[in-house]
Amino acid sequence: MSGEAYLTEYPAIAARLPGVDLPWLQGFRKQALQDFGVSGFPGNREEEWRYTNLSALNKTLFAPSASQNVDEDWLNQYSLDDAASVVLVNGQFSASLSRLQDLSAQVSVSSLKQALQDRPAWLESRLGQAVTSAEHNLVAFNNAWFADGVVIEVVAKQQLDRPVQILHVVTQADALAATRNLFVLNEEAEAEIIETYVGSVGSYFTASVNECLLGRNAGLTLYKVQLEAEKAQHFGGTYVKQARDSRFNHHNFALGSGLARSDIHTGLDTAAECSLNGLFVAGKRQHIDNHTRINHLKPHGISREFYKGVLDNKARGVFQGRVIVAEDAQQTDSEMNNRNLLLSADAEVDTKPQLEIYADDVKCSHGVTVGQLEEKSVFYLQSRGLDEEAARNILTFAFANEMVDKVENAELKALLLKELLERFPAISL
Amino acid sequence: MSTSAQEIEHLISQEYKQGFVTELEVDTFPPGLDEDVIRRLSKVKNEPEFMLEYRLKAFRHWQTMPSPDWAQLKIDPIDYQAISYYSAPKSKKEGPKSLDEVDPQLLDTYKKLGIPLDEQERLAGIAVDAVFDSVSVATTFKGKLKDAGVIFCPISEALQEYPELVKQYLGSVVPTGDNFFAALNSAVFTDGSFVYIPKGVRCPMELSTYFRINAANTGQFERTLIIADEGSHVSYLEGCTAPMRDENQLHAAVVELVALDNAQIKYSTVQNWYPGDKDGKGGIYNFVTKRAECRGRNSKVSWTQVETGSAITWKYPSCVLLGDDSVGEFYSVALTNNLQQADTGTKMIHIGKNTRSTIVSKGISAGRAQNTYRGLVKVAKSAENARNHTQCDSLLVGDKCGAHTFPYVEVKQPTAQVEHEATTSKISEDQLFFCQQRGLSAEDAVSMIVNGFCKEVFKELPMEFAVEAQALLGISLEGAVG
Repeated sequence: MSGEAYLTEYPAIAARLPGVDLPWLQGFRKQALQDFGVSGFPGNREEEWRYTNLSALNKTLFAPSASQNVDEDWLNQYSLDDAASVVLVNGQFSASLSRLQDLSAQVSVSSLKQALQDRPAWLESRLGQAVTSAEHNLVAFNNAWFADGVVIEVVAKQQLDRPVQILHVVTQADALAATRNLFVLNEEAEAEIIETYVGSVGSYFTASVNECLLGRNAGLTLYKVQLEAEKAQHFGGTYVKQARDSRFNHHNFALGSGLARSDIHTGLDTAAECSLNGLFVAGKRQHIDNHTRINHLKPHGISREFYKGVLDNKARGVFQGRVIVAEDAQQTDSEMNNRNLLLSADAEVDTKPQLEIYADDVKCSHGVTVGQLEEKSVFYLQSRGLDEEAARNILTFAFANEMVDKVENAELKALLLKELLERFPAISL
Repeated sequence: MSTSAQEIEHLISQEYKQGFVTELEVDTFPPGLDEDVIRRLSKVKNEPEFMLEYRLKAFRHWQTMPSPDWAQLKIDPIDYQAISYYSAPKSKKEGPKSLDEVDPQLLDTYKKLGIPLDEQERLAGIAVDAVFDSVSVATTFKGKLKDAGVIFCPISEALQEYPELVKQYLGSVVPTGDNFFAALNSAVFTDGSFVYIPKGVRCPMELSTYFRINAANTGQFERTLIIADEGSHVSYLEGCTAPMRDENQLHAAVVELVALDNAQIKYSTVQNWYPGDKDGKGGIYNFVTKRAECRGRNSKVSWTQVETGSAITWKYPSCVLLGDDSVGEFYSVALTNNLQQADTGTKMIHIGKNTRSTIVSKGISAGRAQNTYRGLVKVAKSAENARNHTQCDSLLVGDKCGAHTFPYVEVKQPTAQVEHEATTSKISEDQLFFCQQRGLSAEDAVSMIVNGFCKEVFKELPMEFAVEAQALLGISLEGAVG
């Protein structure tokens, strides 16, 4: 069975996981372990996984690592100077690398381990609120295996004065970095959080789950910058529960890893808004799967979704976007768009935008395109003296850059531009 | 709201006009399905040996298959042993030599349905093969078609007269093990139409089949096979009705189309099986596998469907575009009302170079109905310069219905251009108000807007069918918005 080796290994790991003394957490983990034990990692026969094959997870037994070794110079290129930062090395919080000292008292940022010690009851009533093991078995896996993570809470009516960057770093070969993060924004609170995933070794497995609980009229902007190493397996799920009038803005940049799957699921209460933007650029044999779900549960919700994909060489890109409008959710306004550029004969894109609508007074639309660069545009640039490769690079870059342009954080934007330009070397502007 | 709730109630609750039962003496197998039933069936129809083997192979495979549950449908479990797999009007036994010998009651039935079965209605210019319960009762215009070299006959007759043609093509597009319902059909199909258009022939008239389920507790399993040889052209229509009964009846058909070099097939359906009453009691379960293979260069297949009937519709007319420069088209209007459920759409599989496909799907959901578009556009690596455009729009009428869109787009070829767009909305009050202030009643306004919404599809239908389709929409929907 899929995932068997992990189950066999679990008892040896369990004692080292946080919260052994908390009966509720033990129950939580036990349930997850049971769910995972039924069928292991999700397989292609599951509708939501039909385009993504996780068999690599069975070929290597990725194991937690206690190593805290990091080359700081290497890491610095990814860290944003203007942001407070939390660094997780191989899935464990690193106090020495994190910079939290200058955050105001209105916000509490701590490691999950610390939070489990300091306020277990507070966590008990929040963990598993936005997603459960029933979602799919990678969530179940995370529920059972998570070793640490970040907990951020913003007090009601307060605004984070600077963004918080969470740096997920893996430096140990074949390591398993299973982190669980909880972002709680109380009423009318505002925050900007940037998740960055990087690795300095070839093969490892990141399995992280974020739960975001947004109170009334709260606003969260969450960036995910996935720059995992070439052979890394990445799963990152973000599950959001939006109270009335709350706003959730997500930007998903998937540029790295061998195989990556992102889940971004949100449930909207009355008049809540969300916008999901995404860019995936894949080459070589990369496989990048983006899975989004917007669940309009109550009236007057607004959602906007825009994903762009650029696939080269033997890469495969997947976009699965689902918008559900519940019977109650009258006057929902929803738009979804997915545009893909196929650059090579061996690249593939699979896209599945879905609308499920149970209310009648709604405005919903979705659009998908798959295509290539327009020869006319390439020719135009060539006629201006550029060689063909540069012309194609410029056009592809421009296609992708539209998503980077939506980023408001200037420092992050610069980092993304640099990463993007590295992928189009023929541009020398 | 200008249209009163009562009015809407009245309009939605329009009765099914084709719901009469024809009292005929019928020859029916007792309910149940096993290998003996299949052997008996094959024997009754005096089929060649290969057919029996074909059926048994399909049946054995079917027994190993689970009933599919992936569609956005709620289906009560079907007891396949409670269905009778053969029902034929008794008078058919000797076989009518001409229309005069056909049971007059039967002819009356078709008259009620408005089918130009009578050769007197020659002017209608449509050759009709009518299938009543399980057997084909009459085919008109045989002589004229024969002159043109066109074979148009019940498939049971084709098995007697052209067994090698049937053997060559049957199951070559939809193999016996393709899916649960196709396997069942392959095992037990009783009749259907067979069409062969020889090289270079343009079929002189529209061909048409009418299906009707009459007897209680029977299933209808018809099989249609159309082969358009090189450079030929054919337009084929099918229509369906059934009486009103409280039980659900099963209809599991398979349609296979083969288009060779430069051939064109146009296949139009107006499906008006009994949809069940307003509480969802009774109605036809319509599980249909339709697939076309554009095998030749420059061939073209066009599916047009107007789906207004059936309690449950599970149907995905597909095109496999094998030949270079071949074209696939799919135009669909699916209307669901009351407790009807439809999960329908198409598959366009691009394999040949420069293949093109167009999908236009219009879903209208009213009452408490669920209407789903499910489509696949697949561009294989070999399909250079493939082109697809998909448009699916949904119109919601009433606040308890659902409209869903599940498109799948899989592209492995960088020169392919694929576009998909979908919208879901309701008839806006502005539109209604505009029409009304120009003097139209609310009813007419809605009818006009819905017809406009479906126009792109209706214009693909042959003239007579377009009229029928509009009338059908009218019966089910006119003014159902307030």
